[in-house]
Parts: sequence; structure tokens; C-alpha cells
Amino acid sequence: MTHAPLPRALLALTVILTLALGACGGSKSSSGGGEGDTPAAAGNQKKVLNLVRGSAHKNLDPVKQFDQASADIVSNLYDTVLSYHYLKRPYQLVPSLAENMPTASEDGLTYTFRLRKDVKFVDDECFPGGKGRTLNADDVIYSIKRFADANLNAQSYMLMAGFVEGMDAFREETKKAGKDADYGTLEISGLQKVDDFTFTMKLTQPNPLALLPLAASQLSIVPREAVEHYKADFERKPVGSGPFKVQKLSRRGVIILERNPGYHGVYPSEGDPGDKEAGLLASAGQKLPLVDEVHLPLIEEAQPRMLKFKRGQIDLLGFDKNNFRQMAFKDDKGFHLKPEWADKFEILSGESLSTEYFVYNMDDPLVGKNKALRQAIAYALDIPGFIKDMRNGRGVKMHTLVPLPIAGSERELKDLQRYDRDLAKAKEKLVEAGFPGGKGLPPLTVEYRNSSTDTRQEFEYHRAKLAEVGITLKANFQTFSAFLQRVDSGNFQMTISGWAADYPDAENFYQLTYGPNKRPGPNASGYQNPEYDKLYERSRFMPNGPERYAIFKQMADILYEDVPVFVTWTYIPVSMRQKWVKNRKLNSMITGHRFIDIDVAAKTKGVQ
Amino acid sequence: MAERRDSLWRRAGRQLMKRRGVVICFVIIACYLLVALLGILGLLPDYQERVGDSYDPPSASFALMLGTDIFGRSVVYKILAGTKTAMLIGLVVPAIAVPIGVTLGALGGYFGGRVDAFIVWFFSVISSVPYILIVIAISFVLGKGMLAICVAMGTVGWVGLCRLVRGEFIKHRHREYALASRLLGAGDLTIIFRHILPNVIHVAIITASLQVLGAIKSEVILTYLGVGIQDGSSWGTMISDAAGELVQGIFWPLIGVVFSMFFVIYALNVVGDALRDALDPKLLD
Amino acid sequence: MLAYTIRRLLYMFPVLLGVAALVFSLFNTVGEDPVRVALGQHATPESIADLEAQWGLDQPLYKQFLDFLVQIATFDYGRSYDTGEKLSDMFAAGAPVSLSLTLPPFVIGLILNVSLGLLIAYYRGSWLDRFSTALFIGAMSISYLAYIIGFQYVLAYRMDWFPISGYEPGIEGLQFLLLPWIIYLVVSVGPDVRMYRTVFLDETGADYVRTARAKGVSENRMLFGHVLKNAMIPIVTYSMVAVPFLILGAFLMERFFSLPGIGDLMITAINNGDFPVLKGLTMLIAMGYSLIVLLTDIVYAWVDPRVSLS
Repeated sequence: MTHAPLPRALLALTVILTLALGACGGSKSSSGGGEGDTPAAAGNQKKVLNLVRGSAHKNLDPVKQFDQASADIVSNLYDTVLSYHYLKRPYQLVPSLAENMPTASEDGLTYTFRLRKDVKFVDDECFPGGKGRTLNADDVIYSIKRFADANLNAQSYMLMAGFVEGMDAFREETKKAGKDADYGTLEISGLQKVDDFTFTMKLTQPNPLALLPLAASQLSIVPREAVEHYKADFERKPVGSGPFKVQKLSRRGVIILERNPGYHGVYPSEGDPGDKEAGLLASAGQKLPLVDEVHLPLIEEAQPRMLKFKRGQIDLLGFDKNNFRQMAFKDDKGFHLKPEWADKFEILSGESLSTEYFVYNMDDPLVGKNKALRQAIAYALDIPGFIKDMRNGRGVKMHTLVPLPIAGSERELKDLQRYDRDLAKAKEKLVEAGFPGGKGLPPLTVEYRNSSTDTRQEFEYHRAKLAEVGITLKANFQTFSAFLQRVDSGNFQMTISGWAADYPDAENFYQLTYGPNKRPGPNASGYQNPEYDKLYERSRFMPNGPERYAIFKQMADILYEDVPVFVTWTYIPVSMRQKWVKNRKLNSMITGHRFIDIDVAAKTKGVQ
Repeated sequence: MAERRDSLWRRAGRQLMKRRGVVICFVIIACYLLVALLGILGLLPDYQERVGDSYDPPSASFALMLGTDIFGRSVVYKILAGTKTAMLIGLVVPAIAVPIGVTLGALGGYFGGRVDAFIVWFFSVISSVPYILIVIAISFVLGKGMLAICVAMGTVGWVGLCRLVRGEFIKHRHREYALASRLLGAGDLTIIFRHILPNVIHVAIITASLQVLGAIKSEVILTYLGVGIQDGSSWGTMISDAAGELVQGIFWPLIGVVFSMFFVIYALNVVGDALRDALDPKLLD
Repeated sequence: MLAYTIRRLLYMFPVLLGVAALVFSLFNTVGEDPVRVALGQHATPESIADLEAQWGLDQPLYKQFLDFLVQIATFDYGRSYDTGEKLSDMFAAGAPVSLSLTLPPFVIGLILNVSLGLLIAYYRGSWLDRFSTALFIGAMSISYLAYIIGFQYVLAYRMDWFPISGYEPGIEGLQFLLLPWIIYLVVSVGPDVRMYRTVFLDETGADYVRTARAKGVSENRMLFGHVLKNAMIPIVTYSMVAVPFLILGAFLMERFFSLPGIGDLMITAINNGDFPVLKGLTMLIAMGYSLIVLLTDIVYAWVDPRVSLS
């Protein structure tokens, strides 16, 4: 075909399009603030805390939420009767909606709570005239009833099961009544209103754990009007009395919380030793929250999160494995940023309230019945190596189930027996197990709940270590529900599990191997040992102290010998903050948005 | 008939061999297939073996040519293992999709009527559902891993080809040669497979060549979504790992795998184009 | 013509029924169990049974399928298992985002790629053809994922030409969409231009073109008067069937650029076994697809009367 000159119209079209695209490509983004930029005029005045959500919340009804993403939002919008001290460790209960800590009767069974009289729910159309009304004792009792309602709360009732007189019976009644359960006629006998701002709670037995659930976000206080007005949509229409209220609630986009001017909280004026020096008491006594707005965009991928942080568009960000490696390092003194980042950002770390452990299925004919085999695996695994190589050293090897900041952890127990990597002992144990050098031992299968890169690499690490003594490890990467079905029904050999504290008490961890909690309960290994169970029951409601710790030691020794679970490590959360973020201290029990302050001048300069 | 066909193929072959670029691309593909063959025979070096420290940068020896990964394993060895996986996927997916597509397309196009209506219904249904949805659903059934994604891509991938083949058969079934062989007493199946099919098979060949590269590219995305290959021996795994490594300044695994993919996909594209040019009767002048 | 249209319209029903059956059987028999996902670990058999009853999953399968057909007929798919949101609300929130991600580059790409295809077909065999083919094949040979990772890192972070991620409705949000659009265009330019080039070459090789050329019709007139017009049919078919899927956005880009669209919603729904979302989405797309195919077929029949007779 002959080449005539290029048709003009076509040429023009192509040129225009190319130019248009080029222009688009070249246009520099005018606003660097990223999501939810405040309008330029007002932006200079407002204190905005820019954070990020890694996953979308599911449900904002306090009694129905159980995922972390929902809890983070619920706890900023609602308030609880009690809360935890922001700065002091070990974790310590403080009054929140209560005027002061409740007083117990002489028999230790009845607690009297006096509520603050100055707390109002935020304004909302569910109230007459749209004005939020004062929170009172009826609201508290109503919210506790919702918590105990079998039709509403499938997840977290066990936090309080058996604690309060008449509460279990109330739950049974609601189950019978179904959806029409009428709180007007159904009562919890142990829960009595004294006057508008006072109520009493009667326990079934003296129990130091009974107050802890009142600080959990599931027991946030909700107004009856909102529940009745919004019905099914109450899950998406929070009406609370917390430090913040909703300005914009876009589940998959940006959530914007704004200051609730009526919030009663003030910044604590005491802290741990060292907190004052670290500047954590600079805001002492100030009215909370300290920022005007919190912006929470959903960013699921790690790359954009880190890139935005580096540009100053996010104020706080946790490390993942890859960017820790690039930006930080660990030495004997702790965690540090590499020089090129050290003058830009601050690094901070803390202690988490969680434990990871291998679970052996005690009903499995091979691993469940062969103690020496379980011990051999415990000797052959390289946990310090795993923490160092696979988690940048952001963790601590553990020897009991209880996380270190909790009273009664291995810090308080003397002469603990422990498994440290020892290939000679592992080989001996294998001989004892009947599989010298691994001969005759079929491959063992570990169940995983997903197939992420981290999971795959974790498996490959353990597989290599066990191969050194002749144990072949296989993995079953599967969907989450398939995993749950397998583990909860006991159709597995081994799996890796973790537990994060519902409340900061050792009991919450020793129940993980308590016989009656057998799966589908928290005791996934299905371990049954009457001696252990008796010790657990004795220690359960004891106050902390040497007597309780002595029982913990016995329980730890039993678990060491039998290895139904092999405790591996606890994670150390390491994160970065921008220099303009003040008052940041890691707190595993409450979300701390309300305590954080922003140096607006520095932030305006620092955001690119 | 037979004579013309032979000459078409021979001519196509000659035409392909005349173009140096195409010959080079054939050689590249052959090399990749050779690596895959070595892999199947177990002759490739073990990619699980540690050859250095974690994240060694590239250096002079063969194993360390592209540095090491987080476990100190050779990136080159991993790429070789990934080549085997990619080539297998590239062969298995069309091996499932092409026979289904050709058979259904041929039957529908040739017989028309109810058979055709059923087949058209079948592929209309499948093409109305988002591809990724079906693939993930199938991987739920078969478990995760290579077999699952091959079967998934294969069972979805036949639709386009089926449509094309059916169209060709509709054109061809009334052609003189088809009518003539029926008059001479040939059965339907003979006409379909002996007489018409050879005249439309170029469509299948071209589609298959495109499917190979489609499958290799899809594996990357599926693995990123967590339904693909799980044992670390695929390009998809390497790219999804590299997503995190790039921010750390560790670029060699990404560069290595992007280039290994680039060459073979480039070659497949060129060959696919050339095949199309050479085999399509309309373009023969 | 009318009879043909009616016949084609009626034909949509068996296809939609087939899609319904396929989706229903895929996700009711395999996939994540929504009840387990919703209740998490340590759920008691009792609470599992309760939730199954609440969602109607304890009904016999045929009953569930009939319910599903009723939902399709009434366009009421209920609420997401995962979040309790109404499906209509979720789609209303996500669809504009997904469409603003995909529709503009789709339209720009269509015009741009058809022009480029025509241009290259016009210069078939020249250096331009060879160079651009090499370039486009090269662009096609790089993984989509590598483009996203690389472009975000280099163009948004290193060069600071675009915001890293985010979304805002309206004109304010345009800045966030530019980079995803560019990636969309870069990824689609290779396969599309090659496709259009082929279409044009098919047409320029056709008998009528030779005849016209022999009669002395100018190249320009032939290209625009005949080739372009006739090539429109395959081009329209090729591009229009992609339209219903545009609503799905591009799930990987939605994840990397924090665009709260429907593509990412679908991936989450698959992972959580969120049947209502999956059913609603698939039926929506299947209807859109069937309608588009119907429209193109009717246009065909109108252009070429032989079609409606067969």
C-alpha cells in the first residue's frame, strides 16, 4: 500500500490527546495533604491528627463489634464506666463515666458506682429536639443488658459470664424471648439502680476480675433512643458520649472524627517514672481531646502507607518487616532509626499484651499421644533466630503464656524451666519418641489461616529448622473459614495461634489450656489435665501476689512438661511518629487518640 | 484440498524463518522450555538451598548473579524454578482451554440449531460473570496452588476461542468443499475434523499463543491475591515479595523477575503476531 | 427486525438464569463459610446454628435458590453479611468511584488507541509500524502489578507529580485519579492498539477496498469513508463488552490508591463469603453485559439485515 500523507484530522486528534495526557502527567498535585484535606482557609487553625486504617471496620454497635478495626472507632465515639490509665504500668483501672472507683461492700460482693453528672450524649436526631441528653444510671443498666442479651452479643459475653448475680439467667431469658426480649420486664437481679446517677452491681463471689469488663469497649454506654430510632442501622450510626463524634463515616474511604466539646476527660497528671522526662506530662490537666479532628483513611497496601508517612501526610505508623529493615535497626539498647531518617522521625516501641504459641492437637494419634515428639519439636525450633531473621528482632522469646507487662508473668516467676534450642536434646527426644533421626516419622502438618507472604516465609523458616533433626514439616495454607472448621472441630495436628489480652490479667492466658474451655473454646489443643484445671480454678479469682504466682509457677511447669502448647514469643510493637506528634505512648488496652497533641506550626512546615 | 493446506503451512514456515526477529524469539522460547524441561527432570539447582546471607547484592558467580533473597537463597535459582512453573502454566492452560474451545465451537458452528443454542448459552453465561470471581471460586474447590489456578484459567479461558471457532465454522460449513465431501458420503465428524478444522485451526493456534502469555501474567496477579502458587517457586510469589522489598532498596529480585518475564512474554507476543500474519489466509498477499 | 429484537430480549432470561445458577452453586457449595468468618474462632456450634438460621442458610438448597431468584426479580438483595449495610447503599457509594477510575481512561483509551491503530495500520510495514509494535509489545510484557508498584513509587513519591493515594468526590478528587488513569492507559494501549491494527488490516485487505482502490478512490477517502466505517463493527463489539465490567473498577489499583470502589469490595466479599454482595454484583454485571450484547447485536442486525434472518 502506498503512503499518502498522513490524514490531517487523524494527526490532529493524536496530537491533542498526547498533549492532554502529557499535561495531566505534568501537572503537579496542588495539595499535598492527601485524603480528607481540610479546606485551605480553616486548615491552618485546626489541629488534625492524620492516622491510617489498615482494614475496614465491620460493625459499630459496641456489643456486636469484635474486630480490632471496629473497636478502634467504637472506643473513640463511646465512653465506658471505667477505663485504663493512659501512662501507668502495669495497667491500672481508672474511673471514666464513674465519678471515682467503685467501693465494695464489706463482704466484697456488692460494688456501688456513682456516675458523673456532667456527661451528655452528642446531639443527634434520635433525641427529642435533636439535643443530646445527660447520661444516667438507666443508660448503664440498659447497655449492660444489651451486653448480656444472647440475641445481640454472640462474641464477648464470656468476659463477664458467671460474674454478676442473675446475669446468666437474664441471658437465658433473652434467648427464650428471642428478638422481642423486653428489658422492661426482664431484669438482672444483681444490677440495681439506686438513683439517677448511682447503681450497684452484686457479684456471685468475691472476684477482682469483675470490674475489668466495665472498661472494655463492648461495654460502652449507649442511649436507648438511638438503638430504637436507628434499629438495624445503629451498627452504622454511632451515638455516644466519647471524646470524638462522627463528622464523616465512609467505611472504605476516609473517616473523619471531630472533637466532642462536651467530653469530660482530662489529661492525667501522673505517670510512670521517666514519663515526665519524655515530655509525656506536658499536657497534664488539659481538657481532652487535644486535637480537633482525626482523619482515618483506609489504606490496605503497605507501600502507599509508608510513602505517605514519609511525606508527612500520616502522623503515626507502625513498622512492617520490610520497612523496618530499610529504616531502622536494633542493638543492645533497643530500636533506632537509621541516620538518614533519625532527624526526620521518632521511633517508639513498647510491650504488647499478646502471646504466640504452637498448638498441638492432643487428640491427634501421633503428636497428641507422643510427649517426647512434642518436646523434640520444642527443642528443635529456633525462636530467637526466627525473631531476629523474620521479625527484625521485634519480639521477645517467651516461656510462659503470660505477656511480660502482666502481673504474674515470667518476670515474677523464679527458676522457670524452659526450652532453648538444643539439637542434641531434640535428637535424644526423637529417639525417645521412637523416631531416631526422624526415621519412621511421617511428615507433620501445620495449619495456617491464610497464605500471605509472611505466613509462607514463617513456615519456610520453621521447616528448615525442623529438617535439621529429621522432622519433615508440611503446611496447609487455607481459607480462614476452612481453617476455623478444621481447628475448632479438632481435625488437625499442629497450628500456630496467638492470644491478645481481653483484660490485663494472667487468668486470661492460663484459661487457654483449661480443660472445660476445650475447642471450639479457647483451648484449641484440647488439653485435659485435672491437676492443671484444679490449679487454674484456685488461682482464678485470687488477688495478685506471691501466693497466686506460686500457683502460676506450678501451672507453667505442667505445661513445660506436657507441651500441649509450645509458647514461642511475644511481639514488640515498634512504630514511628512525626516529630510534631506529642504525648504518644503505646497503650494496648485503650486507643489513645484523645491524648495526642499536635504541634501545628511544625506540622504545617513538615507536610510536603 | 490436502495439497493446498500443506503448502499453506510450508509457506507460513518459510515466511517465519525469513524474519530474523521471529527466529530469535523462537530461540528464546526454546531456551525457556529447555529450562522448564530441566526443571521437570530435576536437573535445576535447588532453589531452597542457602547460598549466601540474607539479601546479598548481586556478585560475580552464577548463583549470586542476581543476589539473594531474605533466606539467602539464590535469586537466579528461584527465577529458574519460576521459569519451570511459568512454562508449565503456559502449557497446561491452553492444553485445557483449546480442546474445549475448539470442540464446542466446532460442534456449535457446524450443527447449529439446539446444539448451537446450548453452546452459545453456555459461553454467554460464563462470559457474563467476572473472570476473577470464577477463578477464585474454582481455587476454593481445588485448594490453592498450581493445579487449581491452571484448571481455573483453563475452564474460563476457552470462551473467546469457542466464539471464534464457531464463527469460522458457520462460514465454512456451507462452503463448496464441505458440501462436496458430504455428497461423497462423509460423516459429520469426518467433515468437522478432517475437512473444516484444518482450515480454521490457525485461529486456535493464534489464540493459544496469546493464552500462554495471558496465563503467565495472570499467575502473578492471582498469587498476589493469595490464590496462586504457595511454595515460593513462582514469578508471582517473587513479584509480590518484591513489592515490599523495593522500598528497602532491594531491587535485584524485582529486576530479575521482571526481565525474565519480559523476555519470554515479548518473544511469545512476537511469535503470536508472526503466526497470525503467516497463517491468516486473508493476509497472505 | 422487531421479532428479532424480541427474540434476543427473551434470550436474556436463560442466560441470567444460568449466571444465577453458576454463582449460586459456586459460592453456596464452595468458598468461605460466611457464618464462620463472621463469628471468628471459638464460636460455639449453637451460635453457628443461630446465625445460619438468621441468614436462611439452614434452608434446603433448592429453597435458597428460589429465594435468590425472587431477589433477582425484585432487585432486592438484602444486606451484606459482613457489615449489615444495604447492598443498594454499598453499590451507590462504590460505583461512582469505580466508574471515575475506569470510565475516563476507557473513553480516552478508545479514541487514542483507535487513532493509533489506524495510524499504524496506515503505515503498515514502515519503521513506525515496527518501532511502535516493539514498544507496545514491550509495554505488554511487564506485569500490571509491577506497573502499579513502580509508578506509585517513582512518579508519586520520588517525583512528587501526583498524590500518593486518596479519594475525594468531585473535581477536587481529580488529582488522585490521574495516576491510576495513566496506568490504565499504559496497560491497555498495547493490546488495544494491536487489536485495532489487526482489524484495520483485515479491512484494508478486503475485496471492496481493492475494488475501490482499483477504481482510483483516494487513500484518505478510503480510510475514513470505508475502512473506518466497516471496522467500527468489530471495534464496537470488542470494546463494548468491556463496559459492564468497568463498574468493577480495577481492584488492584483501588487497593494501592485507596479508592473506595467496587472492585476491592468484591475481593473482600469473596474472601469473607459475603454471598449477598457477590450475588448482587454478579447479577448486576450479568444484566449489564447481556444488555450491551443485545444492543450491539441489534445494531448489527440493523447494519447488516442478513443477521436477523439467520
